[in-house]
Amino acid sequence: MTFFTVVLRGLWRRPLRTGLTLAGISIGIAAVVALVGMSRGFEKGWQVGLKARGTDIVVRNKTGGLTPKPFDASVRDRIANLPRIAATCNLLVQVTSVEDSDLMILSGREWGGFSWSNLELISGRMPSDATEEAAVLGQTAAEILRKKVGDPIQIETKELKVVGIVKGGALVEDGSVILALSLLQGIIGSPNQINAIDVRATPGTTEQQLAELTRQIQQLAPEVRALTVAEHLSHAEGFQLIKAMSWGTSLLAILVGVLGVMNTMLMTVFERTHEICVLLAVGWRRGRVMRMILYESALLGFFGGIVGVALGAVGVKVLTATPAIRGLLQPDLSPSLLGLSIVIAVAVGIMSGLYPAWRSSRLMPSLALQNG
Amino acid sequence: MTLPSASGPSFLEAKGLTREFDEGHVRALRGVDFSINEGEFIAITGPSGCGKSTLLQLLGSLDRPTSGTLLYRGISVPDHPDPAAYRAREVGFIFQAFHLLPTFTAAENVQIPMFEIDRSVSERRERAFELLKLVGLEKRLDHFPSKLSGGERQRVAIARSLANGPSLLLADEPTGNLDSENAHSVLELLIRLQQEQGRTMVLVTHDPTIADRAGRILRMKDGQVVSDGKP
Repeated sequence: MTFFTVVLRGLWRRPLRTGLTLAGISIGIAAVVALVGMSRGFEKGWQVGLKARGTDIVVRNKTGGLTPKPFDASVRDRIANLPRIAATCNLLVQVTSVEDSDLMILSGREWGGFSWSNLELISGRMPSDATEEAAVLGQTAAEILRKKVGDPIQIETKELKVVGIVKGGALVEDGSVILALSLLQGIIGSPNQINAIDVRATPGTTEQQLAELTRQIQQLAPEVRALTVAEHLSHAEGFQLIKAMSWGTSLLAILVGVLGVMNTMLMTVFERTHEICVLLAVGWRRGRVMRMILYESALLGFFGGIVGVALGAVGVKVLTATPAIRGLLQPDLSPSLLGLSIVIAVAVGIMSGLYPAWRSSRLMPSLALQNG
Repeated sequence: MTLPSASGPSFLEAKGLTREFDEGHVRALRGVDFSINEGEFIAITGPSGCGKSTLLQLLGSLDRPTSGTLLYRGISVPDHPDPAAYRAREVGFIFQAFHLLPTFTAAENVQIPMFEIDRSVSERRERAFELLKLVGLEKRLDHFPSKLSGGERQRVAIARSLANGPSLLLADEPTGNLDSENAHSVLELLIRLQQEQGRTMVLVTHDPTIADRAGRILRMKDGQVVSDGKP
């Protein structure tokens, strides 16, 4: 028999209570995996989308937000001729409801701009010109909206025709309704307004040169902010809000887990007062008794973490398959997140076990001589 | 910590041992003096509440006296630098209610005290088998306490008390929860082990027939030793 056997037996003493506590931690950890995994996935989806379009720098309004406030399209004319800029493309992007879908990315792109070039036709054709009242749908968007080539699509008050279904190389692209910028500006009544400029740098531009380029852009157009793709995502208020909300909710769930484990371990110590006193009477050091309780709670956390990670991973798959979210994000269930979740679970276990362990170490071994 | 003695320290020596509770309102021990030699079998007897078990707790370092000295081989028990080590290595406890851990088998219960001494897993297992064989339970190794009779449980407890080879056995009414047949066999086992292995045994009992089996009887009343002599 090893010390680990002693610890396991302690947990096995009350299987139902151990199981319920484990379920409590699991739910907390599942919340971490699901919420953080989705927020990271959301961010990653946009990042991949920008990369797929070949964008190196995003120029946007100084305020953050996932779809920042519009600004005048003429900004592009001031920056387009800077050295190391290979191409620019004006965009107006909105996340809005389209027909039956509550959340859909509506992407108006400057006709002829490079942001069109990554789109690969699966069926149909591209709009013939910027004036044609037509849109192409990313393949996931087409599935969600149940549209095929030739179907009408209602964008706000305007009915357009779906002329093509495209593959964009990224989840965000595939989940978008894409149309000519001027058409979208006309529909929403904001002529000459854009909310982003995609900037492609000349091949071979280093990270340092890219950073220098952002500074130059800002000098020429102080009313906007130029950011590299990674900076753009990390500064976006929308992403920060999503991150904060996902961690905030997760922390609440973890706190519930902490209270659950602490309650269980305190009950364990109270129930096993006599047993602990016998251990002290037969020569166990207080430190060993404390270790026993701490290992029990850490093990509860570990098992809860494993179950929670599995629950979270399954839950997030189910969630992202729901029509409301499908196409908007691919959850990021990276090994680092799963590992971090288990580390959090073990830490929860250890933290929750500290007070009960301390209580157990204060017991007097003389209680063992009392009949019990 | 050490009292000088011309012939070297006694095995156990108590002087003016006092234990009070409730800020002195309850005086469980009132200046107990005695000395025990190595290898002796001593019975402590007396009516309920006379302080027998309190004295046993002090001998086993489960509690601290309010005043007085208690020396084990010349070292103060209450001020022992490592009380847990004293309990683990020098003392073996046998309780009236056995106090076996219910989620561990007989062999595992015997191994519990061995965690505090440097023994490998296989050494612990072998030692538990050896001790359970010694008390006649080699066929009950994997039985949980709930599957053992009262007599068998007390035998497991005796085996557990011997786990780390203590020099002092402290037994608190070891036959108190047993029927007469089991009580007799457990007592015989204790006496045999004490005699064969030359261990010092202090046995608390209020049964005069059990006390008469000891080599010496300390009779207590109202927290004091009222007589100390042969049966």
